[in-house]
Amino acid sequence: MAQDAARAAGARLNPQVDSLIRAAQHGDQDAFEQLVRAYDQNVLRLAMNLLRSPEDARDAYQEAFLRVYRNLHAFRFDCSFHTWLYRIVTNICLDQLRKRKVRKEESGVVETAGGSMDRMETFEEEGAEADPERVLWNRELRSRIENALGDLTPRERMVFELRHYQGLRLRNIGEILGATEEAAKNCLFRATQKMRAVLGDFL
Amino acid sequence: MTCDAVRKLIPLCFYGELPAGEEDLVEAHLHECAACAGEMEKMTSLAGALGRRQTEVPASLLEECRADLRAAVEGAAPPAGAPVKGPWTLFLEAMGATLARFPRWRTPLGAVALLAIGFVGARFSGAGRTWWKPADEAAFATVRSVQADNSGRVQISFDETQRKVISGRTDSPEIQKLLLTAFHQNNPDVRVESIGLLSAETDTAEVRDALLGALDHDPNPGVRLKALDKLKPLAADPEVRKTMARVLQTDDSAAVRMQIVDLLVTRRDDSTVGVLQSVVQREDNRGVRQKLENALKDLNASVGTF
Repeated sequence: MAQDAARAAGARLNPQVDSLIRAAQHGDQDAFEQLVRAYDQNVLRLAMNLLRSPEDARDAYQEAFLRVYRNLHAFRFDCSFHTWLYRIVTNICLDQLRKRKVRKEESGVVETAGGSMDRMETFEEEGAEADPERVLWNRELRSRIENALGDLTPRERMVFELRHYQGLRLRNIGEILGATEEAAKNCLFRATQKMRAVLGDFL
Repeated sequence: MTCDAVRKLIPLCFYGELPAGEEDLVEAHLHECAACAGEMEKMTSLAGALGRRQTEVPASLLEECRADLRAAVEGAAPPAGAPVKGPWTLFLEAMGATLARFPRWRTPLGAVALLAIGFVGARFSGAGRTWWKPADEAAFATVRSVQADNSGRVQISFDETQRKVISGRTDSPEIQKLLLTAFHQNNPDVRVESIGLLSAETDTAEVRDALLGALDHDPNPGVRLKALDKLKPLAADPEVRKTMARVLQTDDSAAVRMQIVDLLVTRRDDSTVGVLQSVVQREDNRGVRQKLENALKDLNASVGTF
């Protein structure tokens, strides 16, 4: 995971990305594929974290990279490719989140191609199954965290995900979301306050 | 700095988003104010709890997304603003070359693999150059019967499986055998990883048959593509060609069908030509049909059977 993040971060700064983009703009499919592969793991992880459904994440992935494919000719290097790509991805995910706001917050079970995967499996510490109290504590904490995240507005959720899980700087997050750095800071502050209020005695 | 001002800056300070001067002021305040220092500790606890929530992306999902994207790109409208000759045409023409070279997503890092595969350890002994150890102390048991007698004793019959961790070189027989076992696990991620780590030479009938089984029957297109990638060195094998020809006619994944066409045309034989001629007539995917037509052209065969 760290390698993926490092790779994406490297790709963000790597001038070779520019030549890949130029080649892809001229129809070089190998370059396009390399470009996709430089970023797609982080894109998929972001979509999974936000949308919490492999099917929705898969749709978001496909829509995002198809938009990239169709519009790459219009990319003029006036911002980083990473920022441009994440504008596309975050718009798609925000649309999804906003649609979901009218629905009940989804359950803690994630559907995978291999069947249901309870998020608890990736959440508990190793060996926690041997300690029933710990298991219960973790379960309650997880439930609180999901509630806390569910209480955030889609924009707060996005800022928090990009900062906390993707490790982007707030200035960059502002660029991606078409907002100022100050606005991103305010979103992050509100998000942490809300989560702390919900988690309360668990912290 | 007042406590109110500091508390508003705590999340930014935690994430390293404050200018150096402001960060120094906050740090100085935290050093002197226990209440605000407690707030920073809560912020750290929050981040720690949330850090454990990160969703893992199943490897097979990424493979499926990539396969979907390939198939979608071939069905998409040509990109706007395309050069005169069109990158779309170039893309379609070159798609075959891309799939033929189908990159390995996860080349094993170094010669050593560390595998943690649960519930299969009991099938193997600990002998040889392979090292076993329990992954945890807990055993997983299914109680089959419980019989109590009058003396206060009880006899419990149960099955026990033990989760173990094995580490060894990817080319060791024990590892390869375990990888073949992992082919049959329900988790497609395990299947994709296992295929990726199988011996590149695919020099045993057992490995070949396992790959053909995955190509023929695995419900996950990512796994099938991975199996095809591993079957490349055996593209001339009659049994492999026979299975690929059959799968070409039935598989619902365009990416899998395109990959099979690439492998089939590496060798000309009459039965291959017949299969391609038959499939091209009913292929409804534009990209795959184009590839089939090009393949037949390369094989000096007509598109129709006449």
